[in-house]
Amino acid sequence: MVTTNQRAAQFAEGLHAAQGEFRRCDSWDDLWAFATSLGDDSPVVSPAAYEQLQRGQLPDDSDPLRSIADRPVGIAVAQLAIAETGSVLLIEPSTIDRAVSLLTRHLIVAVQETDILDELAEGFAWLAQQPRAAAYATFVTGPSRTADIERSLTIGVQGPSRLTVAVLP
Amino acid sequence: MSTTFKQRYRRSVGDPDLKPRLLTFQRSWRESRDAQVKRLEQRTERSFDDLRQEFAAVKDLTLEHWDDHIAQFRANAEAAGATVVELSTAEDAVNYISSVCKSRGIELIVKSKSMVSEEIELNHELEQRGIIAIETDLGEWLLQLAEERPSHLVMPAIHQKRQYVAEILGKELDREFDPDDIPAMVASARDGLRGHYLSAGAGLTGANALIAETGSIMVVTNEGNMRLATSLPDVHFVTAGIEKLIPSWADAERQLQLLPRSATAQTLSTYTTCITGAQPGKEMHIILLDNGRRQMRESDSIGDALRCIRCGACANVCPPYQVVGGHTFGHIYTGAVGLVNTTFHHGIEEAAGPQGLCVSCGACETVCPVAIPLPKQILDVRHRAHEAGHAPRWERAALRFWAKPSLFHHLMGLGALASGGARLFGLVRRDHLRLPLPRRLRWRSVPALPLRNGRTLVRSRKPQPPIAESPATGQAVDLFAQCLADRMLPTAVDAAARLIEAGGASVRIPQSQHCCGLPAFDAGDWESARTMARQTIEALEGGSNQIVTPAPSCVIAMQEHWPELFHDDPEMQQRASAVSRRVHDLAAWLDGPGRLPDGCLEEAENGSWTAHRFCQASNRGDPFARIDQLVERLTGESGLPLEEPEVCCGFGGLTSMAAPEVGQGILERKLACVAESGCDTLITNNPGCALHLRAGAVASGATHETMHYAEFLAERLPQNP
Repeated sequence: MVTTNQRAAQFAEGLHAAQGEFRRCDSWDDLWAFATSLGDDSPVVSPAAYEQLQRGQLPDDSDPLRSIADRPVGIAVAQLAIAETGSVLLIEPSTIDRAVSLLTRHLIVAVQETDILDELAEGFAWLAQQPRAAAYATFVTGPSRTADIERSLTIGVQGPSRLTVAVLP
Repeated sequence: MSTTFKQRYRRSVGDPDLKPRLLTFQRSWRESRDAQVKRLEQRTERSFDDLRQEFAAVKDLTLEHWDDHIAQFRANAEAAGATVVELSTAEDAVNYISSVCKSRGIELIVKSKSMVSEEIELNHELEQRGIIAIETDLGEWLLQLAEERPSHLVMPAIHQKRQYVAEILGKELDREFDPDDIPAMVASARDGLRGHYLSAGAGLTGANALIAETGSIMVVTNEGNMRLATSLPDVHFVTAGIEKLIPSWADAERQLQLLPRSATAQTLSTYTTCITGAQPGKEMHIILLDNGRRQMRESDSIGDALRCIRCGACANVCPPYQVVGGHTFGHIYTGAVGLVNTTFHHGIEEAAGPQGLCVSCGACETVCPVAIPLPKQILDVRHRAHEAGHAPRWERAALRFWAKPSLFHHLMGLGALASGGARLFGLVRRDHLRLPLPRRLRWRSVPALPLRNGRTLVRSRKPQPPIAESPATGQAVDLFAQCLADRMLPTAVDAAARLIEAGGASVRIPQSQHCCGLPAFDAGDWESARTMARQTIEALEGGSNQIVTPAPSCVIAMQEHWPELFHDDPEMQQRASAVSRRVHDLAAWLDGPGRLPDGCLEEAENGSWTAHRFCQASNRGDPFARIDQLVERLTGESGLPLEEPEVCCGFGGLTSMAAPEVGQGILERKLACVAESGCDTLITNNPGCALHLRAGAVASGATHETMHYAEFLAERLPQNP
């Protein structure tokens, strides 16, 4: 039997292998304190993150992408995470849901520790049962990257260049 | 962009940086991919082969019920708000996209990576119709700026040097780039492309999978551009081949176990995005393209290539690809699978050129995550190319000559006389002629032909006294010398006979044996191959003796290719099979029916050795490829480790003649590994490889000796009285 703690440890390992950063946060307040310590007093937040935090800047409804492009810090919330691969699953049916994870430089993704699943197959089994979630679902594994120039791995291309997954109890 | 195969070949072999860059890439990919596969096997407690066969079965079953899955996908995607169209040709697809754009006033499309869009040359075609398509994947964007095609399925710009990238980016963005500052060049993509996302009317992506049960698409990317291209514009086009269909989400997950690990050696790519339908107020158009796929499905031999998930692994282990890159090894689809599917998407004319570059080593099939029998399919396409008149004239003539045993032996006899004359005049060094060769052939030497062929050597000496009892003691064994070894490496033929005799069997040499047909079969000339195979069958049938040969390539040809050559002639097929059932590779013989005991051979003082294992047999998993183990068992002497012992030596039958630079490039890779091993003697098991490796070693001035392992072992037998 794999414990929640072991699952989180395995998740952290997978995330590190994908150049992501793992952080335990005691509470949403703790997460906010971490986010604001990164050089931006008012990080941008996805609608789901705003529900929990009740603070931060939401993308502008009329032009969600332009309004937050290249902001230093953004906060989003994952539906679940996968220990096997170090991935988080973002459910983002509309553009306003996606803006934060698409265009901020340092993306913080919050996930409940109990929502970490063992294997990718479980994540897919969950999605298969959730037609609404499958409208636009992304397993994110680390920050964006490319090796297109002479195979030299460069982290941070057109998506975030840093990814921290904040695991909440 | 439109260049002939010859032009592309010359350009790639003239690029001094390409080979070393692709070599570094192949080696590092191999290491990371193998580590990933090992972890996968440990976690799932199943072998890679099991996992790939399981997913291949999913793909096969989907293709069996293709139309049902297409209908299911269409119904579900349309229920979710997408428009699905199934189109037959590249032109249909271009017309559809341009008409949607025209009716909505769209003049700019941002594109994420899509091989189907490359297949239909969408950018160029749209431009003709006044619509601009901008590539947003960094590699694809660099290609677009340089007006080039992808040279790899996954790493499209792998052929570009950083200096070149700095130059084209500088031109596009009107600023200077330091070629050594790759992060700055990467960052420029963000700046250079951002404006396009914001002003484009449509985004276009491919799809790694089309999930029928919900009408969803799955796209696997790393940069984040695909998510931008599907989020900003109001219209989303998806271009996908109809073979991308899979039934369920569970199957999508199965595909993901294999795809990123085989493509970029990642556990999972950064973004695995699944999209079902369009956002309210936006449009999603899914274009399911046939463009030759249904025709592929109907072909018994090629249909399995539709399993392809475009990971590029077949190129990553391909020795000729390492030498010439994807612009030459393939057309728009590159690597081994490109040699196959180009025929159906772009026609035999485009597919024919690179066929002769494949060395038939079989490495591609070993790493293919969907177990496509690529080597066999390439041989089939070669046959089609030959039938369509695409074989070079010299090759046709050479094979016709080869197919006539008496002419072959007369000319070889003359060659042997001339070589003897050269010896008298001191024009032979280390058994090779000191001939002035054209520049592109100087990497090898031409062997001086010995006066006596292998069969004569065996007949003209007394039998080797037995050194031990073996299961074959008292048996008579027929020796198939192999045409090449008989004339050019007769000592290996004689050594093989002595090793058989050492186990107490007597050796008989059937008259009129010549060639099994492999060179012609490999070249796609099945008619000449049939002539040769028939002669060999006639020469070897009629007895019940087991047949042994020092040439594993002939064993594979007889057992694998003969049934194909005679597939519509049941009588010949039966006769062929009666012969091929009795054939053994010498190494298999010495370990099996004619097994010599452990440590039975005397020690010899010829220093350290290492073994190059015949690639084709190794990649098929034939146990007899492990000549290193055989030699260790019989002599008690351990060989030195050799890097990449199973990677081709570059002989590749006619390849090293048709494309000398490819033969040279692969040989140099091999000889560098041999030099690194520090051996005094290199042994190998296929006569063609031994000749190629020896000729290259002599020309390069390498000091090690090259031998067929039979020669190496026979030296340790007590000398004939």
